[in-house]
Amino acid sequence: MIKRKQLVLGNKTLVDITNDICEPVESIPKKGWITLFLGAKTLMIFYFGIIGYILANGIGLLGVNHPIAWGTMIVTFVFWIGIGHAGTLISAILFLFRQKWRTSVARTAEAMTVFAVMTAGLFPLLHTGRPWLDFWLFPYPNQRGPLWVNFRSPLLWDVFAVSTYATVSIVFWYIGMVPDFATLKDRAKNKIRKIVYGALSLGWRGTARNWSHYEMVYLLLAGLSTPLVLSVHTIVSFDFAVSNLPGWHTTIFPPYFVAGAIFSGFAMVITLMTCVRIGFPKFKDYITIDHMEVMNKIIMTTGLMVGYAYTSEFFIAWYSGNVYERYVFVNRALGTYGWCYWAMVSCNVLLPQIFWFKKARRSLTTMFIISIFVNIGMWFERFVITVTSLHHDFLPSSWGNYAWSFFDGCILFGSFGMFLTLFLGYLRVFPAISIAEIKTVMHVGKDGGHS
Amino acid sequence: MQEQSTESAPENRPEKIERDTNYWLSLEHYAQDPEFLKLGSQEFASSPLKEGEENAIERRDFLKLMGASIALASTGCLRRPVQKVVPYNKQPEEVTLGVPNYYTSSYSDGVESLGLLIKTREGRPIKVEGNPEHPNNKGAVSISAQASILNLYDPDRLNGPRKNLWNEKRTNKDTVTPKWDAMDDEISAQLKKGSVVILSSSISSPSLRSIVSEFSQGFAAKHLVWDAHSNDQLIRARKMCFGAETLPVYQIDKAKLILSIDADFLATFLTPMAFSKQFSKGRREIEKMSRLVSFDSTFSLTGANADLRYRIKPSQQLDVVMAIFSELEKQHKVVVPAALKNTLDEYRNRISQLNMDGKIFAEIAKDLWENRGQSIVMAGGIATQTEFSEGLFCAVNCLNSILGNEGKTILERPAVASSSFADIKALITSMTAGKVKTLILHKVNPIYHLPESFGFAEALKKVDMVVSTADRIDETSQYANYIIPDNHPLEAWGDSESLEGVISLQQPSIRPLYDSRAFALSLMNWGFIAKMGPKRLLAYETYYDYLRNYWKEDVLPKVAKGQNFDDFWAQALQKGFVGSSRATAGKNSAKLEMLSHYKASESVGPELVLYPTVMMGDGSQTNISWLHELPDPVTKITWDNYASVSIAFAKKNSLSEGDVIELDVNGKKLELPTHIQPGLHDEVIAVAVGYGRTKVGRVANNVGRNSYSLVSDQGIFSGQKVTIKKTSRKEKLANPQGNQSMEGRQIVVEATVAEYQKKKSANIHRHHTWSIWPGQEYNGNKWGMSVDLNSCTGCNACVVSCQSENNIPVVGKKYVLEGREMAWIRIDRYYTGTPDNPEVVFQPVMCQQCSNAPCETVCPVLATVHTDDGLNAMVYNRCVGTRYCSNNCPYKVRRFNWFAWNKKIEAPLNMALNPEVTVRIRGVMEKCTFCVQRIKTVKNTARLENRKIKDGEIKTACQVVCPTDAIVFGDMNDPNSAVSALFKDERAYALLEEWHAAPSVRYLSKIRNNGEEKRHSNSEEHV
Repeated sequence: MIKRKQLVLGNKTLVDITNDICEPVESIPKKGWITLFLGAKTLMIFYFGIIGYILANGIGLLGVNHPIAWGTMIVTFVFWIGIGHAGTLISAILFLFRQKWRTSVARTAEAMTVFAVMTAGLFPLLHTGRPWLDFWLFPYPNQRGPLWVNFRSPLLWDVFAVSTYATVSIVFWYIGMVPDFATLKDRAKNKIRKIVYGALSLGWRGTARNWSHYEMVYLLLAGLSTPLVLSVHTIVSFDFAVSNLPGWHTTIFPPYFVAGAIFSGFAMVITLMTCVRIGFPKFKDYITIDHMEVMNKIIMTTGLMVGYAYTSEFFIAWYSGNVYERYVFVNRALGTYGWCYWAMVSCNVLLPQIFWFKKARRSLTTMFIISIFVNIGMWFERFVITVTSLHHDFLPSSWGNYAWSFFDGCILFGSFGMFLTLFLGYLRVFPAISIAEIKTVMHVGKDGGHS
Repeated sequence: MQEQSTESAPENRPEKIERDTNYWLSLEHYAQDPEFLKLGSQEFASSPLKEGEENAIERRDFLKLMGASIALASTGCLRRPVQKVVPYNKQPEEVTLGVPNYYTSSYSDGVESLGLLIKTREGRPIKVEGNPEHPNNKGAVSISAQASILNLYDPDRLNGPRKNLWNEKRTNKDTVTPKWDAMDDEISAQLKKGSVVILSSSISSPSLRSIVSEFSQGFAAKHLVWDAHSNDQLIRARKMCFGAETLPVYQIDKAKLILSIDADFLATFLTPMAFSKQFSKGRREIEKMSRLVSFDSTFSLTGANADLRYRIKPSQQLDVVMAIFSELEKQHKVVVPAALKNTLDEYRNRISQLNMDGKIFAEIAKDLWENRGQSIVMAGGIATQTEFSEGLFCAVNCLNSILGNEGKTILERPAVASSSFADIKALITSMTAGKVKTLILHKVNPIYHLPESFGFAEALKKVDMVVSTADRIDETSQYANYIIPDNHPLEAWGDSESLEGVISLQQPSIRPLYDSRAFALSLMNWGFIAKMGPKRLLAYETYYDYLRNYWKEDVLPKVAKGQNFDDFWAQALQKGFVGSSRATAGKNSAKLEMLSHYKASESVGPELVLYPTVMMGDGSQTNISWLHELPDPVTKITWDNYASVSIAFAKKNSLSEGDVIELDVNGKKLELPTHIQPGLHDEVIAVAVGYGRTKVGRVANNVGRNSYSLVSDQGIFSGQKVTIKKTSRKEKLANPQGNQSMEGRQIVVEATVAEYQKKKSANIHRHHTWSIWPGQEYNGNKWGMSVDLNSCTGCNACVVSCQSENNIPVVGKKYVLEGREMAWIRIDRYYTGTPDNPEVVFQPVMCQQCSNAPCETVCPVLATVHTDDGLNAMVYNRCVGTRYCSNNCPYKVRRFNWFAWNKKIEAPLNMALNPEVTVRIRGVMEKCTFCVQRIKTVKNTARLENRKIKDGEIKTACQVVCPTDAIVFGDMNDPNSAVSALFKDERAYALLEEWHAAPSVRYLSKIRNNGEEKRHSNSEEHV
């Protein structure tokens, strides 16, 4: 009989687990966390300041221009939405497939999803010319006469896709935390904590009835989230694929975008988890090197899928016989933004190949570096798709380059400030690993039980 | 619209125009003491606070203030200030609110005189269009005439006369607003002292000419006419050849072959609007189309439209004509006098240095000979103002003469040569010697136009009194004692005589905005006060009265003898002009012998070419944002001038686009950014003039560099030797066009005449498109537009017209560089052929109003929708600004308001806005609407009159000004409409047809009459 590796190390007792996971929530933050949090928070405040300035003066402060009407905001939107994919994939799909190793990373990956979607969600609203009228994009009974939204527009589908995804992810994440909130409430030593966690736990008492309902809801939500993992990025890809622009109008976009999203999502999970392991050494027993290795395998696989998509696009461009399409792809690799393309290919396709080696898969340093590169590469992928297709389209007279400005940089880096602030706050407020669920995958008994 | 009158606070009231001097406040006021006037413009003579103590208020003042504030506070609480809204209770005659009125008028830049229609709304002019009845321009209207509307509303104009408070050294530049009477008294007293000189640019107004000459007679004044770009050498050469001072009146439509040697007749030479009209007329029937051959030392608009274009440098202009002479001689067509034979032999050596295939000249000579009597050879413009220009013009005259063109395709009209640079030098000398006591400057700016070495500025300080009529404190008028701003042509009565002899009236279409006065009236007033001058000058109180009388006495007998004057006047006002072209056939008598003393001379090394652009002209009307943002027709660069060099020259000197180089022309230096221009001669550095104004206003100050500083002291513009020095700096040139080649795509289709004769749809690759959707049905009208690329010369008139009609904002150089220009119609210019010597094609691109519009489906809020008459409508109010439509537009014609451009419109420029078109706010998309407001106006009229819309009744803004009638608009559902016929023309094709957006615009392919069998087709690789 093949003996599976233990999912939780260190021969923990049930109390140990509760203590370990609750510790970050119940202790005073140390210097390291405070420094990171203050840094992230400052960046976030700066980010909001920049957004305010753009709102006051016009979207023209960014590099968007004629002919490149979509730029950093849309690129970064797709980037963050993509990041958001790993969470739901881990928590919903892997849950349905009974992948028990998911338990240790699911909570944090879901948190990452929620924060990434929150970060991303701002961009489509902010990138419009008149953001104060964004509510016109929502179909609801109104007094504006016969005006209604255009259901033919992929942007409208986007509104539905992203808002549904955000809602379901938040609900799924929250439901999963209910039993843990009750634990925190029970352990609370002051009144405020008791009240807050008590309210959050929605009166959870841990009865069999509670558990039976909980597990059913969780299963249903997992079922509901599963198609969303595929649909959100499919629909985001429709923003491009449904248009008639060479370089955007490609049937491979939906699977290509989903694979890319999972790819970048897992990379972000790796980035965050390596940091969490350093910040909270006790978590090393729960988020083991085996967990990381599995995720690295996924990164490598999806990286290959993305690589396939890159190649296929070129083949189809040639095969289509369409001069505009051919030109766009040649220009993508060899034109003004060729360096972006090659940055993307090296980061997304070439570098992850190192994960063929087990040693690399299990080396924290290697995986951290690779994951950072993958994230850079995936941002460039979206930049390449958006900008290089627009910058040289049909009529050469209209060709132009993106007018990258100071504000583009601020928006891109500032969004990390928002994400990290939320994430660092989460680590100290919510239990970062599911206390209730991890206990079900513990190594019990002499042979390691039923892990 | 209702007129609002507000009980405004005193400070809101417009500054009172004080003309009445019966009442005076004090003796100082009576005496017009400058110190007093300065005080008068201040609000408080002294502080209300008690002197010496800060924040101290006297008890009485305190009580007063308190009482007043209580009263104010209590009234303030009761009700808001009363604002009375009063409609026109006496409606002005012929003004209906919301309905535009059109007035005939005219515009003249001194040489070209255009008949205009001024569109006014509620008493303010909003657009300048051409008068379609006018025999010269026939509805065509130049860029500068159209843009003059912004000059009218220029916030930087002076709002009244100014007196300079000179100190001893005349360095002080403080000015005060003088009283008219006192000023007139002082000036006429000064005029009486004699030694008066009037320096003006060419005056095309016959009545003003008569006033000036009567005034000069009265005061024994000297009138010098001086233009920065003069045709005086042309005039003198005609005198030498034909015996009389005349200007040629070319009949371009009658010519089969036009040979231009640096005469940019489609853009700036003589009367480009009339020429463009004639040129397109001569090329409309393709079987009989004329041929244009151009020898070009810049890449001019004419060169860009030439069937055959050859690059030369200015010193080779004469060589070209001589080469043709010697070819004609060789082919035994002409018997050349012996004296000339030797000269021609000399030139033969030079011809080999032209770096051209010798056969070219043989062919051109043959062609010219075959078309004798139906060809035109022309040279002119400042690019031909070289040290050889006399010889060039004489040679051209001789060539036309022996070809029998004089009197057939070239008529003439008497003209007076203006002052030369030598005359100006003489004037400066006498000014410096103190021999000029009073200098009156009218529409001249010598300090800007003359190189510093002339020393005009210093000489000006030696003149007792300088009076300028400039509308602003410009480079020259800043040194004037008095600036008496002339009215803007749209504010004033006037008349003008065209080169061809048609006299037009200029009606004011708005009361003068400011306290300005017509130059003519100033002269009349001074004459009246001094009681000097002939009776006619003194008899009238206003210029209008004088003008009427002048027309009665001088114009009427010439053009309509015996007619009742009041009828004649009313008719003239209505039509805008009287008479017809009075050009006559001159003597065809040039003697070839005279050419023999224009010896050939060697010229090695780079030469300077100065050239005017269609936008800036001579730079006199440059504080206009439209003109700066208008791309140069050939280079497409905006907001700058630059040194154009050829590719080989740039390679040799390792220059790249934007490198700042220092030009050294005989010691005169100028730093300019480099522009690498395909198709320039390798030893040419071409620089546009008209830029680099320093005191013209906030728009144009320090835009580009003043290249007039490179003009030689002898008045030679071009052909001067130039050396360059590369500096380490780089400047970005704002070119809104992204790529200069069509990249092998079927965008502009070209064919040669030979190909056309074989197959009319030559080189058009038609695509098979199909759809499972039968498409939208249009039961009423379906608007369509056709653009004839064979007629379009790329002159840009449509771009300005669109800008004026549709309130299109200007963004400035910084934002053009960032790709945020707003033009709804753009003219794409592509180079074809080899980069060293390319040909040019132009293509106006506006919204194609696609039936399967890709923009419409992707808008999430339905802000862009299809109308049932086939328009692709843009609903600004509904637009949220996702810009998805722009991304999905294959033609990239949509424009986005990246910033709140609408808030940058400064009063009174808002008066130029067209009230029929929404001014767009920040964050909305906009684009060409096919001038939907014009369609609606005609639709409403037709409905009221219960009739159908007539074909051609609706004219879009781009169409109405087009000098070549390249644009036709109409109803595609009407099988008899002009546009339907053009859609069926075999030359018609849709842009990006295979993309099946089903555009409502068709382009007609361009045909080149270059004698070649086959076009080196750019779309060969197109599938």
